[in-house]
Order: sequence, then structure tokens, then C-alpha cells
Amino acid sequence: MRSRALALPMAAVLALSACTGALSDTGSLLGRDTLRIGVKADQPGLGLRGPSGEFTGFDVDVALDIAERLGVEPADVEFVEVTSAEREEALREGRVDMVVATYSITPARKTEVTFAGPYYVAHQDILVRADERSIDDVRDLAGRRLCQGEGSNSATRVIGERGVAARLIEAPTYSECVTMLEEGEVDAVSTDDLILAGFLLRSRDAFRIVNAPFTDEKYGVGVAEGDLSGCEAVNRAITDMYQDGTAEALLRMWFGDTGLDLVTSVPQFEGCS
Amino acid sequence: MTAEAPPRPDRPTARSRAAERARRAAGRTTVRVWTLTAACLVGIAVLFAVTTGAIAQARDGFQVIGHGAGPKVAATADLYFALSDMDAQVANVLLMGDEHDLGAGREEALRRYEQRRDDADSALLHAAQLAEGDDAEQENVRAVLDGLGDYEQLVAEARLLNDEAGGGAGQPPAAVVDRYREATDLMRLELLPKAYNLTLESGATVRATYEDRRSATRLGPVWVALSGAAAAGALIALQLYLSARFRRRYNPALVVATAGVVGLVGLATLMLDDQAQQLRTAKEDGLDSVLALSRARAISTNMNADQSRWLLDPERADTYAQGFLEDAQTVLYVEDAAGEVPGDLAGYGAEVDDAVTERGGYRGRMLGFLGEEVRDAPLAGQAAAQQEVLRAYDGFLRADRDMRLIAESGREREAVSAHMGGAGSVEDAFDRYEEALIELTDLHRDTFDEAVRAGDDGAAGWDVLLPAACLAFAVLVLAGVRPRLAEYR
Repeated sequence: MRSRALALPMAAVLALSACTGALSDTGSLLGRDTLRIGVKADQPGLGLRGPSGEFTGFDVDVALDIAERLGVEPADVEFVEVTSAEREEALREGRVDMVVATYSITPARKTEVTFAGPYYVAHQDILVRADERSIDDVRDLAGRRLCQGEGSNSATRVIGERGVAARLIEAPTYSECVTMLEEGEVDAVSTDDLILAGFLLRSRDAFRIVNAPFTDEKYGVGVAEGDLSGCEAVNRAITDMYQDGTAEALLRMWFGDTGLDLVTSVPQFEGCS
Repeated sequence: MTAEAPPRPDRPTARSRAAERARRAAGRTTVRVWTLTAACLVGIAVLFAVTTGAIAQARDGFQVIGHGAGPKVAATADLYFALSDMDAQVANVLLMGDEHDLGAGREEALRRYEQRRDDADSALLHAAQLAEGDDAEQENVRAVLDGLGDYEQLVAEARLLNDEAGGGAGQPPAAVVDRYREATDLMRLELLPKAYNLTLESGATVRATYEDRRSATRLGPVWVALSGAAAAGALIALQLYLSARFRRRYNPALVVATAGVVGLVGLATLMLDDQAQQLRTAKEDGLDSVLALSRARAISTNMNADQSRWLLDPERADTYAQGFLEDAQTVLYVEDAAGEVPGDLAGYGAEVDDAVTERGGYRGRMLGFLGEEVRDAPLAGQAAAQQEVLRAYDGFLRADRDMRLIAESGREREAVSAHMGGAGSVEDAFDRYEEALIELTDLHRDTFDEAVRAGDDGAAGWDVLLPAACLAFAVLVLAGVRPRLAEYR
């Protein structure tokens, strides 16, 4: 009789402890058998979808490596295209477990998403035609035609913040900017160096990266807001990735021939919060 | 026991049958009393075990947060600070050239460099202890240690070249700048990130332990209350059975034992609840803020170093100005009412000016270490200390703008002087900001210490009280049932 009287409250306590346990793990990246990872589909060298639907690029390889270190085999990783505008929503709605998509960590975004990493600190830089000799840093853009993709503010950083009087020309995408650069319709394209390096791979001999970095873009791994243990595990994976040389190998494999100065030691993490 | 006598071979008489029935009834009663008594004793034993366990878990939480990893993590946060200050002092020494009395003077800069070197060593020692059993972290500690050796070598070479060249303040020769570039790149791109990640990782370990202990300490009182209810239930059942069977209203010993169990459980749950509260306070109002503010101080020191680098190496001025702005946004991120983020130092400074002077009425957004820390102020004196930090930070940024204007007008020597020389200089404003920051940090450190002390004190005495009380309850139960059982002897 005593044991039956106890059974009910015991069950309540067990349920309670199960609840509090579950609360802290809700939506965590850890302990999954499969992972859905959001990547870009139109960013050569970083995240690009091929004709048969497979994704390739530095971000894709980084994502696969992190997943493997979290115990998820490449075969169990599903890649999902995310555009820049929908990354927060995709995480919030649980459409993806993780985002690795040239996703710059900013304090404002940190209020909506928990960021592991950065796994790389990219910098805004300048892409010019290979035969261009008179552009060596951002100030040399004065009076030159600078192309900016729609919805981006890379030119503001040159013209507004650095007071360099470049002539702004807008194109729908950076891909089109690069085409215009090749055809001589603009003189320079400025955005994240890894993105420029990816475009440069399209026609290696046509372009040159100036190597005059002037901002920090901390590429982070977005996880569901509040998934601190998942975030910390991703940071450990990134640490290992740099310590065993995988990160350097991936950077060299994707961007080694682009003339870009690559940093191959582990970046300063943002901290999970 | 007395349950059944062996059956007699001859046919029982009516009288002996009645006696037999009475004996059997008496036997049943004895068994029930003993069973209930045993249930009471088991209940008290379980209560003892559960409460002991809950107290041990609460103590364990305080052990980790209050005395173990918690303080050590706070110490590793100083690693980044020490390293960036080393680099700042080196840049200052090189900037002074042969004008050894600029600002606080060359001797003072060198003394601070050595001091920070020692601080870095002891912080690394803490980090190494925290990293025990974690290969990746140990590798990180080793990398910082090795890198620090290389860094010191490069610094020694740069200083030697600088001393040989002589020359006034603000124009170190190219060879010196080249060597310093190597040193500062090693520091900025390799050592500082690794040092910062070490702090983060040990912070993550403490967080995980805390989460783990916290759910345990929150459930502790629940388990104690439940086992107390079970013990009290058994006592009441025994009481009821005895009063029905022996037609007595109550059994004084059992009443005292029951009241004692209820009282003990009440005290224990209150105490455990208070422990859980204190642990939460120690972690969330104490340690978390101490860590965030230590990181703010460390990153601010790197801003200060970026000013010296900026003066020392004009060719890389853009990079260092950018680094300064990035760090500034990490320390205090401001975004105007329209959601625009200032992208240059002048815009940033103006926005911080607005945010600090309008404080309550500011319509933009403040984030970053300081922005998050000044959001609310539950502690006494906290609001004033926070406002002082913001004001001093604003003052530091204003001194920075003045210094940059002087440098950009081509007066290098004057700029170096505005950077390091006495009242009104950048260094002076930075010291004031740092002091305000330390004061606010101390406020949280005190909160942490008080909560840990309250936690330690709260559980004191229970090592004696708990076993003594439970033993007394057991004795009372036995004393209560003994006279009843004696009636059947």
C-alpha cells in the first residue's frame, strides 16, 4: 500500500525531471543521427548546387567535417538551400539544424541566432581585372566604377564610411558584377574576399584580388537560438578542424590558387550565448 | 515469533479453541505492529539518505562554481588581457624612441610588460589545470606557451634595433616596424584568438556543470519532501493502527516523531531551496557578469594596443583602425533608431555619445558586452557603477578621436604625446575607463563571494543535525511501540 501511495508522486517527479532535462536539450544539435544543414546554392567556391543537385564548396566541406566530428556521417547529412534573407527563419522554424552559408556574425543577429565559430574571418576586399595596375587599395577606387550587388552595402563601406569617391554601379547579383568586370563595364567589384575568390575561380586568368582587406566578416555556424551545448560542441569541432590541419587543407584546396592571403590558424570564437 | 504453536495431536476442546483464536489474533497484531514499525524505520532511513544526497549535491554545485572551476575560469579571462597589454606596452616603448620620459615613461612601460608576462604565465597555469583530460585544450595551452616564446624573441629583436637606431618619438625606423609587425601578427592572429578560445572553453565546461547541478539542486527539495511525506505517512499509519487496536487516543512518542519529521523536512526543503537560489545568484549575477566584464576589459586593452599600433605603423593604419572599430563594437555595440550600424570611428563615437548621454531616452539599441551588462541593475550601487563605465568609455573614445585628428594633421610627435602624455591623454582616459570597469566587476565579484559564503553557511550544521534527528526519530518509534508489544509477552 505504501509503495502504491508513493508511485504517483514518484511518477510526477520523474516526469518533472524528464521535462527539465528535455527543456535544456530541445532542438539541440547533439545526439542527432542525421543533420539538415543550410548552405548557399549560388556561391561558387563556397556553396554551389551542381546540375545533378549536389552541393559543393568550402562551406559545404566545412559543414560535412563539423557534422562528422559531431558523429553524423556524410551520408546522413542533408543539404538545404538557404538564401541570405531566410537564414534566421530557417533556423527558427527548424527547417535546418545548422547554417553554414557565408553567415557573418553580428551583435544584432546574435539576438536571434546562436553562433558557433567563426570558422573563418573573411574581409571585404577588391576584385579587379588581371591587367589592372592602378588599384592597390581602397583609396585607389576614387573616380573608378565600383559594382555592388543589389541589397548589399559593400559600396557604402567604400564610399560612405571611407569617404572614397568611387562611382557606384548596381547589378542584380555579384555574379553579374563579375561578368560586367570581365567585359570592362565596371573597374572593380568589392565584397567578402572568399566570395571574390570563388568568382575568380570561374576564369582564373581574367581577374586579380587586390589583397587590401578593410573589414572583418566573421563567418559563423548558425544554430537554433539557445542551443548552447550544441554551439559549444561545434566550437570544439572547429578547434579540432584547425588543430589537425583539415581547415588549412580545405582553405588551400578551394582558394589556394587565387592569390588570396589565407589565415590558417583558428579564429577567435564569438562565444556561445 | 509467536505466530503458530504446533497442532496438538488430540481433539481440541472449546476452551482451548478460544485460546487458540486469541493467540492467533495476538500474533497477527504483533506482526502488523512490527511491519508498520519497520515501514516507519525504513521511511526515516530513506529520508536520511535522500536529504544527505540532496545536501551533497548542493555542496558539490558550490564546490564547482564557488571554489573550483568558477574562479579559475575568471583567472583565465586575464590571459587575453595580459597578452594584449604586453603588445600595447611593446608598441609604446617603440613609439617613444629615445624620449624615455613620455607619458608614464619607458621604465614604467617595461615594468608593465614584465608584470603582464608574469600574469600571462599564471593565467596559463590555471588554463592548463582546467584543460586536464582534454587533449584539444591542452594542445591550445601548449600552442600559446610556445608562441609566447617566439613572440618575446621578436620583441627583443625589435627593441634592440630601436635602441640602436635612436631617434625621436613617433618615427621608428622601417626595420623596427617590420620586426614589430611579425611580433604583433603572431600576437593578434594566433595567440590572442587561442587565448580567448581557451577562456570560452573553460567557461563552457563550467556552464555545463552548472546546468547539471542546477537541475539536481532544484529537484533536491522535491525528493526530500516526497520521502518526508512517505515517512510521515508510515508514522501516521502506525499511530492509527495502534489507537484502533489498543483503544488509546494517541501515542506521545509517535506524535513527537511525526512532528519532528514534518519539521525536519520543512527546514531541509527551505534550506535546499535557498541553496539553489544562492547557486543561481553566484552564477548568474556573479560569475557570468565577472566573466563578461573581464572579457570587455581584455578586448578594451586590445583597442588600446590598436591605438599604439596605429601610430607606430602608418602603412597599416587602416587595418588597425578597423581592428579598433571591430573591438569597440564587441565591447559596446550601438545601432541607431533606424537600425543603421555606424561603419567608421567618427560615426561610432557620435552614436556612443548619444547613447550614453541620453541613456534612458536613447532610441537605438545597445548590445555587446557592456550593452548586455547595463541592461538591468538589481544590485545596490550597480546602476551608478554602470553609468560611470559608460561615461568613462565615451571619454576614452573622445580622447581617441582627438589623438587621431592630431596624427592625421601630420604632427606625429604631438600625437604620441596625446596618446601617452599625462592628464587628458588617451592613456589617462583609458585608465579612468579601466578603473570604472574594475569597480563594476568588483561589485559582481562581491555578489559572487557573498552568495558562495551564504551557500557554504546554509548547509553548515546539517552534518550533525540530520543524523541526530533521524536517529532520535527511530528511537521515538521504538519507544512508542515497545509498551504495546510488551502487552503480548
